[in-house]
Amino acid sequence: MDFEAKILIIDDEEIVLDSCEMILAGRNYEIFTAPNGTVGLETLKNVHPDLIFVDLKMPGISGFDVLESIQSIDPNIVCIVITGFATVSSAIEAMKKGAYDFLPKPFTPDELRLITRRGVDRRKLVLETIALRREKEMLRENFAAIISHELKSPLSAVQQNLYTLIAEISPVLNEDQNRRLERMKTRISDLIAMIRTWHRVFTADLDSIQEQFKPTSIGSVINNVVESIEPHATRKDIKIVTSIHEPMNHVEGDEVTLSEAIINIGNNAVKFSHIGEEVFIDAKQDEKNIIIAIRDNGVGISEDTLPYIFDDFYSGQKGSQGERGSGVGLAICRRIIEIHGGKISVESKIGQGSTFKIMLPAITGNESQETNSKAQTKVIP
Amino acid sequence: MSENKRLLIIDDDPDFVEGIQSILEGADYIVDVKYNPRDGYEALEKNPPDLLLLDIMMGRGAEGIMLARKIRKDPVLREIPVLIITGIREQMAFLFPGEPVHPGFVAVDELVEKPVEPDFLLERVSALIEASEERKAQEG
Repeated sequence: MDFEAKILIIDDEEIVLDSCEMILAGRNYEIFTAPNGTVGLETLKNVHPDLIFVDLKMPGISGFDVLESIQSIDPNIVCIVITGFATVSSAIEAMKKGAYDFLPKPFTPDELRLITRRGVDRRKLVLETIALRREKEMLRENFAAIISHELKSPLSAVQQNLYTLIAEISPVLNEDQNRRLERMKTRISDLIAMIRTWHRVFTADLDSIQEQFKPTSIGSVINNVVESIEPHATRKDIKIVTSIHEPMNHVEGDEVTLSEAIINIGNNAVKFSHIGEEVFIDAKQDEKNIIIAIRDNGVGISEDTLPYIFDDFYSGQKGSQGERGSGVGLAICRRIIEIHGGKISVESKIGQGSTFKIMLPAITGNESQETNSKAQTKVIP
Repeated sequence: MSENKRLLIIDDDPDFVEGIQSILEGADYIVDVKYNPRDGYEALEKNPPDLLLLDIMMGRGAEGIMLARKIRKDPVLREIPVLIITGIREQMAFLFPGEPVHPGFVAVDELVEKPVEPDFLLERVSALIEASEERKAQEG
């Protein structure tokens, strides 16, 4: 027979155990009982209960200690403490130690049934949350792997043929036709680049990314960014205004990956700006950190979506010309920045534009020597 | 430009193959294509080409890698230069774009990522064939 839940009751009073068993009988629960903490913990390991009632005042191991042990064995088991001396303070202390609820003695059968129901429901929610979290993690990893193969392969085949076609027929096409073909090529390239970045950042293990780190100039990162977003900006008649406040220390990181993150934000700034506006990129050193700010005066982000924009798969509003994102761009940016030991934040007002701030730890003089010597020791076997 | 060198492509994506085949044939190479590692290996043994263009992700995973290993163990086939054309560099080992392939992972002469620009492909193909001929000339 399939039980809805396994319940373990730990109490030194036999009458409590018996009455609990009787009250909960016939409710599709499998009930286990233990007369003290030691037996209780042993039973726990054998039967893996969903819900445990623990009497706080027992000879031998105290209810609090049992509670602590349960937490260390499996913090996802729902615990409800039974308090004989119905003092609020001991119940609160128990809840601080991880108990879900408390049941003061004496209790009526209905009170027990109700609190059991709530405990079992709680356990279901806990398990569901764990399953969802795991699923999300698997989805993130597998999805990226699937994307890379299933999406990138056909795109590569299309692009390969486009390359070949352009080489073969471009002499007989007119300027406008050639321009359109080149435009297609660029769009597909952008897509492939996005898939590549996404795959890399979401499936790669962080240590191996960090192994490739070396002192990187933020100045050249920003140059990469401007170079990459300028074509898009020019088409919308948007001016990119940079101010790089040298001297700045290098940061420990990877130039390509860092550039990708900031290109993403820069592209967003352009996307959400109105025609003819400006996008500002500032970089300066603030004691131990390099601060990069990307500011636009565009459509802005509404207050209620602001907290979610760095989440996986969150896709916000459309661009000023109806452009829509994939919902992964900013999540990737966040991951890239975090891999670099940095932080990303945003301030925004609807109708006034957004400012993205990236903070990256700067290499101080000593540290950079340290990393050099580390790199050297790696080479010597 | 080439005195009709013979190339073998082993790749399970016919559309992609058409794309590079056309480029290579346009440069006067004689191109043979096999769409799975088994047929590919057979073709290699029967009539070793001047260069092998090999895909990695075929069949149930990285069967291209297994084929590359097999080729490296064969005293005759190991002389053939191999150009790996892969969908995703990261499946080889973790790499940033533009960086050389991990040297210890599998012995191949060169790795390029799909899609590959026609000029770049032709340049790599001819460079690899040249290098292999120089090697042969030195040994012989």
